[in-house]
Amino acid sequence: MKRITSQRQNALSSASATVLETTAEIVERWQQHKLPRYLFLGLCFNLVLAPAVFAATGGDLSKVQAYWLAGLGLVTVALSIYLFFVMFVPEKF
Amino acid sequence: MQASQDSKTRQMPSGKRDTRRHTPKANMSGLYQRAVREAFVKLDPRTTAKNPVMFIVWVGTIVTALVTLDPNLFGTVQADPGEQRILNGLITLILFFTLVFANFAEAVAEGRGKAQADSLRSTRSDTMARKLLPDGTIQEVSSTELRRGDQVKVIAGDMIPADGEVIKGVASVDESAITGESAPVLKQPGTDIASSVTGGTRILSDELVLNITSDPGQGFIDRMIALVEGAERSKTPNEIALTVLLTVLTQVFLIVVATVSPLANYVQAPTTIAILISLLVALIPTTIGGLLSAIGIAGMDRVAQFNVIATSGRAVEACGDINTLVLDKTGTITLGNRLAAEFIAVNGHSVEQVAQIALDASVFDETPEGKSIVQLAEQEHQAKTTFDPTQAEGVDFSARTRMSGTNLPNGKEARKGAVEAVKGFVRSRGGTIPDQLDAAYEKVSRLGGTPLAVCQDNDIYGVIYLKDVVKPGLKERFDQLRRMGVKTIMLTGDNRITASVIAQEAGVDDFIAEATPEDKIDVIRKEQSEGKLVAMTGDGTNDAPALAQANVGVAMNSGTQAAKEAANMVDLDSDPTKLIDLVTIGKQLLITRGALTTFSISNDIAKYFAIIPTIFAAAGIGSLNIMGLKSPQSAIISALIYNALIIPALIPLALKGVQFRPLTADQLLRRNIFIYGLGGVIAPFIAIKIIDMLIPFA
Amino acid sequence: MLQGWFQIALTLLLIVAITPLLGRYMARVYLGERSFLDRILNPVERVIYGLVGIQPRESMTGWQYARAILYSNVVMVALIIFIIANQGWLPLNPTGVGAPTWDTTLHTAISFITNTNQQHYSGETYLSYGSQMWALGYPMFTSAATGLAVGIAFIRGLTGRPLGNLYVDLIRSITRILLPISIVGAVIFIAAGVPETLSGPAVVATLEDPAVSQAIARGPVAHFEIIKQLGENGGGFFAINAAHPFENPSPFTNLLQIIGLMAIPSSLIYTYGVFANNRKQAWLVYGMVLVLYVAFIIVTAIGEYQGNPAVNALLGGQAPNLEGKEVRFGWAQSALYAVSTTGTMTGAVNSLHDSFMPSGGFVTLSDMFLQIIWGGQGTGTAYLFTYMILAVFVTGLMVGRTPEFLGRKIEKREVVLASFLLLLIHPIAILIPGAITLNFPDQLGGISNPGFHGLAQVIYEYASAAANNGSGFEGLGDSQPSPFAIAAGATPTATALWWNLSTCFSLLMGRYVPITALLLLADSMSRKQPVPMTTGTLRTDTGLFIGVTGGVILILGALTFFPILALGPIAEAFQIAKGIG
Repeated sequence: MKRITSQRQNALSSASATVLETTAEIVERWQQHKLPRYLFLGLCFNLVLAPAVFAATGGDLSKVQAYWLAGLGLVTVALSIYLFFVMFVPEKF
Repeated sequence: MQASQDSKTRQMPSGKRDTRRHTPKANMSGLYQRAVREAFVKLDPRTTAKNPVMFIVWVGTIVTALVTLDPNLFGTVQADPGEQRILNGLITLILFFTLVFANFAEAVAEGRGKAQADSLRSTRSDTMARKLLPDGTIQEVSSTELRRGDQVKVIAGDMIPADGEVIKGVASVDESAITGESAPVLKQPGTDIASSVTGGTRILSDELVLNITSDPGQGFIDRMIALVEGAERSKTPNEIALTVLLTVLTQVFLIVVATVSPLANYVQAPTTIAILISLLVALIPTTIGGLLSAIGIAGMDRVAQFNVIATSGRAVEACGDINTLVLDKTGTITLGNRLAAEFIAVNGHSVEQVAQIALDASVFDETPEGKSIVQLAEQEHQAKTTFDPTQAEGVDFSARTRMSGTNLPNGKEARKGAVEAVKGFVRSRGGTIPDQLDAAYEKVSRLGGTPLAVCQDNDIYGVIYLKDVVKPGLKERFDQLRRMGVKTIMLTGDNRITASVIAQEAGVDDFIAEATPEDKIDVIRKEQSEGKLVAMTGDGTNDAPALAQANVGVAMNSGTQAAKEAANMVDLDSDPTKLIDLVTIGKQLLITRGALTTFSISNDIAKYFAIIPTIFAAAGIGSLNIMGLKSPQSAIISALIYNALIIPALIPLALKGVQFRPLTADQLLRRNIFIYGLGGVIAPFIAIKIIDMLIPFA
Repeated sequence: MLQGWFQIALTLLLIVAITPLLGRYMARVYLGERSFLDRILNPVERVIYGLVGIQPRESMTGWQYARAILYSNVVMVALIIFIIANQGWLPLNPTGVGAPTWDTTLHTAISFITNTNQQHYSGETYLSYGSQMWALGYPMFTSAATGLAVGIAFIRGLTGRPLGNLYVDLIRSITRILLPISIVGAVIFIAAGVPETLSGPAVVATLEDPAVSQAIARGPVAHFEIIKQLGENGGGFFAINAAHPFENPSPFTNLLQIIGLMAIPSSLIYTYGVFANNRKQAWLVYGMVLVLYVAFIIVTAIGEYQGNPAVNALLGGQAPNLEGKEVRFGWAQSALYAVSTTGTMTGAVNSLHDSFMPSGGFVTLSDMFLQIIWGGQGTGTAYLFTYMILAVFVTGLMVGRTPEFLGRKIEKREVVLASFLLLLIHPIAILIPGAITLNFPDQLGGISNPGFHGLAQVIYEYASAAANNGSGFEGLGDSQPSPFAIAAGATPTATALWWNLSTCFSLLMGRYVPITALLLLADSMSRKQPVPMTTGTLRTDTGLFIGVTGGVILILGALTFFPILALGPIAEAFQIAKGIG
């Protein structure tokens, strides 16, 4: 019984180590790929934004529609920032 | 005598310049298929994001694709979802093609350069080179292992492994791979003109020892390939400024369209997301946004077609801004050889007698000057060779005697040469110098010619008037340049009088006589200090500082490596007058860009009148639909189709460039504003109406 | 009808006649040449420079100039806020009015320092005489002088001179231009019947019932009135501004007011001509603006003259639209005043713009969108020439050279600044807050007149703030209760809070970003080596090019706002035409 527990603990700790390692690796990979990271953060932020949109429209939209609409708003803002970036450092484009 | 010493005749390519294309004929077959494939490959967002205007269209296409799948995605639409789906699908399709068309324009322009690069690349293959080691032994190495400063030996039949400077030997080299000129060129050390060789050319006879001047991948041909291919293409300052303006306009319309939705909702005239995106795409300057890079690439390509290699697009653009051209007289303005124009008799002789003696003295003279004397004497004065040339002996020109002539079979010595030299010759034979000689000398000098004295033994017969011949058609070109506001300055080593006559004959605006190479750089600096942009051509090593100082320096391909390094363009034909064409190309590039920008922006008026009244018809502004378009759907689709089709329709113009006319700025503005400004306002009204009538949309 | 048009034509003639005189005088002042006030003012200025420690000969760079403006304006705003917030115990408070709400105070301070004078309050019940004179009177001079200084610095930069010194320009603008004209003007206004008194409201018995008394607001109005017009400030002493008989009692004072508000921005174009030594170009530009101005006047005046078809149907005949107008001015004077005040960014009103026909709404909105139909004090002329730079850039390429303006190349930096300035700031400052407000019309807007007109009201308010105009369509819930009302228990409203704060954003955005951009643009132009003119250079002083500039202004400047105009005044016009309104 005791052995089993320790084994389980071992398994657990090794699993958590794997999770940690994987997370570390994912984070590391993210730093190489900026775009997916920004996309993911954008989608997360959208989760916060969507209820606000839902509340603001006062029931005209379904929750899914609110989520998409908030996403569209975010995309618009992102495009605007991108355009500002192009405006000030056009050499890079 | 200066004249025959100057006779380093350049090989002038023949034929009309614009019909000649010396760079190896590029393989253009399959260009369009490749361009079509490229157009789709370029849909990769990482590529599209380089073009702000088209990137907005790209994102718009994704969003309209989403609402095609589910029209109610961003909010429930009142209209029938099926109908919505068809409309949104159509919009998506048109936006997609707008992107593809824009990519296609760029791909075609790039494809032309690539084809040219490929054919250049084929001339360059890895060859084995004989590397000379310091101890004198020869080691066989691959040409890619050669470094700057290595010495190699090349013998007849070899491909020259890299760019270099001849340090030993004399050989003829076939440079047709880069210049297209089939006649071989003589290469020897120590001369400004003939000591540099280019990697990839072939040595035909004898052998040379070369000092390698470039590392692998940085040679002349490599640079040429990189340039025509557009790999090193960076935006020119003007392109950057235009990109800023287009981006600001895009940003403005993004804000307008994003905020118009709550406004429309407030007045109970809501629209759908797909229609708002259509409005956005119609308003942002997609026409110029899609064609901008194609115009730039095509401009470089046009320069390459003129057989000039520009080191950057910046240099090509600068050509259009040139205020002053600094031109060498010899070889640029004049043909480089003086030709006999007149005989002047002195000492009581008749003109016919002078002609006869001059003919006698020139029988063995093979220089163009000598030939022209023979021609003039025979044709104008009916002189004939009276002796048996095989019995006579030719006396060649030398720098010491400054004379040439013929020892006739009867023992007489006919001579022609610099006046002072002939005076000395006559005095040594016990002759006297007639006073009229100096008068004749002065007369010829005043006319801007070179006087050659003619004598036989101790008797001076007269003077030959050698005239500089201005290249035909140059006066008209300079007139054109003047009208375009470009000033020409002629530099010559001649004295003031001669220089002023040539200057007047050629119609240049200014000249510097008795010029030294230092004067060249001084005149450039002086012009630049007044804020002017200066262009010049040069070939010698002592031209290098001036080439570097000038805003546009064009080196002759026949010139030294130093000159080519200092210049920002290299003319493969070594034709100095090409500078004038380059000015035209530079201007044409800027005009094309400006014309399409104006056109693109003017189009917005019609698009507004097509879209706004119909999509906000619920607000009761339907009467603004002055084009009488069938329905909101039809109006949007028509405007978008126009927006997409105008890009491929203008590709030929973007690639060929707006036709350039040598007019003053005001005339050009009037003309182009009328065509592209006013035309840009009117054309879309007509086109959208026609499309609206053609499409079967209710 | 003829009389109305005659009045308009006469006023325009007077304005054109003044232009070369005032323009030349201003050029002398700013070029440091001798002028007739030197004898008195030179010692005065020397004392001021000595006291403040200014080196008058030191020229500033664009950044230094902009920073100096920012710092000085921050100090001045603090002073305004201090005075208004403490007006309760400060002297010259005959009615004993307390402090307005904090957001009203903030909005008023920013609005006056930005030369906007947008008023979300009524002078009679919100402010003491002390506040009117000290807190609002001095920024009317300094903000106008700041605008003039920026305009002059811009002209200097464009013509290749160093930008000059802000403090010197500020002081000279006030001592040589604004103050002398104001003193003369104020005396004329007093003579024409405008009150100038420190005594409190007059309490009189009404004619109808002598037992009932009525308080008539008055105060030190005349001196306030002249600088309000001359400095393109526009903030009225009384709530209804120049429609009030004490501010603008007669057609004569009305004429004087219009000339006052038109004088400097129109003459400054001539001043440019003197600086650039190219009067032909100046007159051509002047002509282009005049053509647009006259066209706008005609559109507005015809709309007002023809009146409202719905009302006309009831009357059974055609009558001018006199709703919201003073009968002593009539349709012509009101239309002319409205076009002039919105075009010059003055914002004073002698009639209610809200009640104009949609064509009038269209014109007044367009005036503020364009900002160059004379435009703001100093900045209007600068905008005008920035539009020319943009026109040179767009069309100048078509002559085959890198575009040049006055021999200076237009490159990336200039295009960034010019396009940002002219094209981007306005949409950001007007459309974004406008869209937010219209998304929540009830919670934020408090719009009295829903529909197309409501949309126009909201956009007008932000356009007026962003363009530093200050006039209002009104009809919005943008005023907090007065200090008296608050003392009586009224509670501040959320809509007024929103309006005060969101217009502050537009005010600041519309003032300091453009000023900084203008100065940087002038700076970078002045540092460029001029390229000599040749026949290959695009001439900017030809009728053709000025026409092209007009086209660029209309396409780039006005078309941007076409969707908004279509949903506002244009839709309203169609609605009225259909007889629904």
